[in-house]
Amino acid sequence: MAKRQKTRIHKTKSGRFFDYSLLFIIIFLLCFGLVMLYSTSSYTAQLKFGSGSYYLNKQIFATILGLAGMAFVIWFGYERIEKLAFPIYVVSILSVLLVLTPLGYEANGARRWLNLGVTSVQPAEFVKLAVIIFLAFIISKTAGKISDWKNLVKIFVLILPAVAAVAVVTENLSTAIIIMGIAFIMLFVASPKYKPFLVIAGVAVVGILAFIMFGSGFRMTRIEVWKNPELYPQDGGFQVLQGLYAIGSGGIFGKGLGQSLQKMGFIPEAQNDMIFTIICEELGLFGAVCVILLFLFMLWRFMIIANNAPNLFSALLVVGVMGHIALQVILNIAVVTNTIPNTGVTLPFISYGGTSILFLLAEMGLVLSVSRGIKVQ
Amino acid sequence: MAIFRTYNRKKILFMMAAFLLAVILILVRLAYLMIVCKEYYTLQAEELHQRERRIKAARGRIMDANGVELASNRTVCTVSVIYNQVEEPEKVISMLTKELQLEEAEVRKKVEKKSSRERIKSNVDKEVGDRIRAYDYAGVKVDEDYKRYYPYDNLASKVLGFTGADNQGIIGLEVEYEDWLKGKDGTILTLTDARGVELEGAREVREESQAGYDVYVSLDYNIQKYAQQIAYKTLEAKSANYVSIIVMNPQNGEILAMVNAPEFNLNTPYELNIETEPADEKEKQNLLNQMWRNQSINDTYEPGSTFKIITATAGLEEKVVNINSTFSCPGYKIVEDRRIRCHKTTGHGAETFLQATMNSCNPVFMTVGERVGVEKMYLYFRKLGLLNRTGVDLPGEAATIIHKQENVGPVELATMSFGQSFQITPMQLLRAVSAVINGGTLVTPHFGVCAKDGDGNTVETFSYPTESNVISLDTSETMRYILEQVVSEGTGKNGKIEGFSIGGKTATSQKLPRSAHKYISSYIGFAPADNPSVVAIGIIDEPEGVYYGGTVAAPMIRELYENILPYLGIPQQEVTTEE
Repeated sequence: MAKRQKTRIHKTKSGRFFDYSLLFIIIFLLCFGLVMLYSTSSYTAQLKFGSGSYYLNKQIFATILGLAGMAFVIWFGYERIEKLAFPIYVVSILSVLLVLTPLGYEANGARRWLNLGVTSVQPAEFVKLAVIIFLAFIISKTAGKISDWKNLVKIFVLILPAVAAVAVVTENLSTAIIIMGIAFIMLFVASPKYKPFLVIAGVAVVGILAFIMFGSGFRMTRIEVWKNPELYPQDGGFQVLQGLYAIGSGGIFGKGLGQSLQKMGFIPEAQNDMIFTIICEELGLFGAVCVILLFLFMLWRFMIIANNAPNLFSALLVVGVMGHIALQVILNIAVVTNTIPNTGVTLPFISYGGTSILFLLAEMGLVLSVSRGIKVQ
Repeated sequence: MAIFRTYNRKKILFMMAAFLLAVILILVRLAYLMIVCKEYYTLQAEELHQRERRIKAARGRIMDANGVELASNRTVCTVSVIYNQVEEPEKVISMLTKELQLEEAEVRKKVEKKSSRERIKSNVDKEVGDRIRAYDYAGVKVDEDYKRYYPYDNLASKVLGFTGADNQGIIGLEVEYEDWLKGKDGTILTLTDARGVELEGAREVREESQAGYDVYVSLDYNIQKYAQQIAYKTLEAKSANYVSIIVMNPQNGEILAMVNAPEFNLNTPYELNIETEPADEKEKQNLLNQMWRNQSINDTYEPGSTFKIITATAGLEEKVVNINSTFSCPGYKIVEDRRIRCHKTTGHGAETFLQATMNSCNPVFMTVGERVGVEKMYLYFRKLGLLNRTGVDLPGEAATIIHKQENVGPVELATMSFGQSFQITPMQLLRAVSAVINGGTLVTPHFGVCAKDGDGNTVETFSYPTESNVISLDTSETMRYILEQVVSEGTGKNGKIEGFSIGGKTATSQKLPRSAHKYISSYIGFAPADNPSVVAIGIIDEPEGVYYGGTVAAPMIRELYENILPYLGIPQQEVTTEE
């Protein structure tokens, strides 16, 4: 990829570029997500809250807020954010720690939320964004020593507080894993070397396999559930199995939008992590493939923007966002198809979750801001 | 400022390729789940979503010999509530309490019970069901249903039987022909959400119910009705415990009537037919069980003198006696160390066997029994079906209570010869007598004739085993002659009807313990005597006042015959006045 990508770059009047394709995909995914969210949640929302649009309204509110945030980030510009990278990072960790104060509250058995009066947020989502910004900042600052082992360790130590805060304080292991994954991807792209990363990845894979085969303890059940969901309905196998019923009964073209039966309370909290199963049931393999292709196209746009980014910081920002989206999409679908053991990962733009939408759109703002920095020659 | 270098771009492409690989793997997995496993998961999901609701099948009718409906169906309603759909529980509770006339606490308990569907009451009259439906309260369901209906209330109640809450037979023919009558329930498959609530507008899969077959029985409404009237008349006149009458065709075993008065109302089988206040549920159940008993087949009794027909048959068949054999009755007979009395204590004096039968002379029959011997007596008991159940198509037939053959000594043999010291059912005796008078064919008494579908096509004609030549034609003919003599001039003369040749035998059995002086009067009569097409037994349990079979039971059957013999098409002979 030595050649610059030029073909898909459109001129604006000022001679500066703006990635309308990406904007279009974002808006399309958001709208599609809202439709699917309504389809998935209206029946249970009607029963639980007396209003079928309960979840939808909250999500629309978060989306509007998020779009405003995205516009703000584009206007604000990634250059100014670069200067704020360290404060943002510190604030994000502090926000996680706030969960321990009376501001924090527990929902669905985990203390992950901050009550801000009008609404509540999940600080872990903020941490992902902050880590991307901070890593892009620190890696671009130390680009000269990127191959240096000490530097790698230093960077690792620097993001350790964020990972630890998320993993320990909010007991959100999956988010912690995603943060580490993002960091790994950003460091990998920044470094000219392959070997150490392939070794780390290899060790990680072997470690996970060893854990699966010889591990024990409470996470072991999760593995057992994964292998035989039918046998462990009490330990999460129920949700996985119900998800498989939804996916399997979808067939090639699905039952049609709104026709899912599994959303009628069979899949608990279907609008969260399991929303992809309802997409499969209603829109079939065809719909599922379309959604995946949309995400692939989005990743493709990220790659183009990163490749044309004006500097390493902006490029790494885009790479971080790209890693974030890719990891969540892959892990989410892998979980609902029972390809890997259950981890609580949401499907970006589609799963229900205000904080997630808010910070995802902020990330999109960053990427679009970077795209504006591309000079058309 | 650091810039994005070529190697960085290569790495991005590498990452992108890695993502693509992961996505492809996931797509393969998805395609596997959604194409290869589609059948499996669709089936599993359907099992989860579908709920089966039964459509009750209409129960087949029970029809008499002339096509009169004896048991039929009426539309009734089942009222139930769906907990999750009830919006105003208080209004629902008060409405149901009022309309169904139930205890409020009971209704409240059911309405407030967290179940997907709770049945409040079944067998509710259609008008009440319509009224409840008119309230249109959310969560209250009124389903139409069939209820068994018996147009003639207590007619042949113990024979027909009745059905329970699920329309299943409880006693009588309703139990015996359950498989024919019940039909096949249909199902409605509906889709439900995770709570089990049916989804509105979801497609339904219906499998229609199949109505049960109509069972046609040999019972004749007219004969049954008339027999029942006469039985009730006797029951009241003699303040008896019960009065049983069985009318049967001795040639093929078809039962034309079976009365066991007092009968009970089949439409209210759980209401006692006697005025009493049972102390508790257990006692009430006992009383109900008593009320439902079909004495003709569920209870055994000592047949007494009617059984002499069997002894006589054995004697004739074994040729140890003929109608002209002479005997002398001193009024008793000494058997071993016992002196067993004749009912006529002064004795009948010299008499032929024919006369002895007409006189129902005990000592003569003790002598005949003695001559036949235990082994041969038991052989004829067996041949005439007295040691086995008759196989009548009613449940709960009682078994013979009789000494083991090896335990029968001279005294037992003597008492058995005139129908004491063992117990059989009236049905068994009627069947044995039928074999004696029909030329020696042991038939199976029965009601069921055939089963027909709703369009009147016969789907099954019931057949019953018979055994021919259990006694010789000669003996049968002789017995018919003797028994005709018994009625025309002997102890059974109260059974005589001018213009009809009737054979018969009376009995007066003393119930155990003998000291209680309780009796059972009975009479078996058949007509026409030379080729009987009808045989009837009448039994009066514990009549007050005069208790002789000849004076209580014989006139009852005579009265019955006076009405049903012309009805049955048995020609009446010109009455020739002899005197």
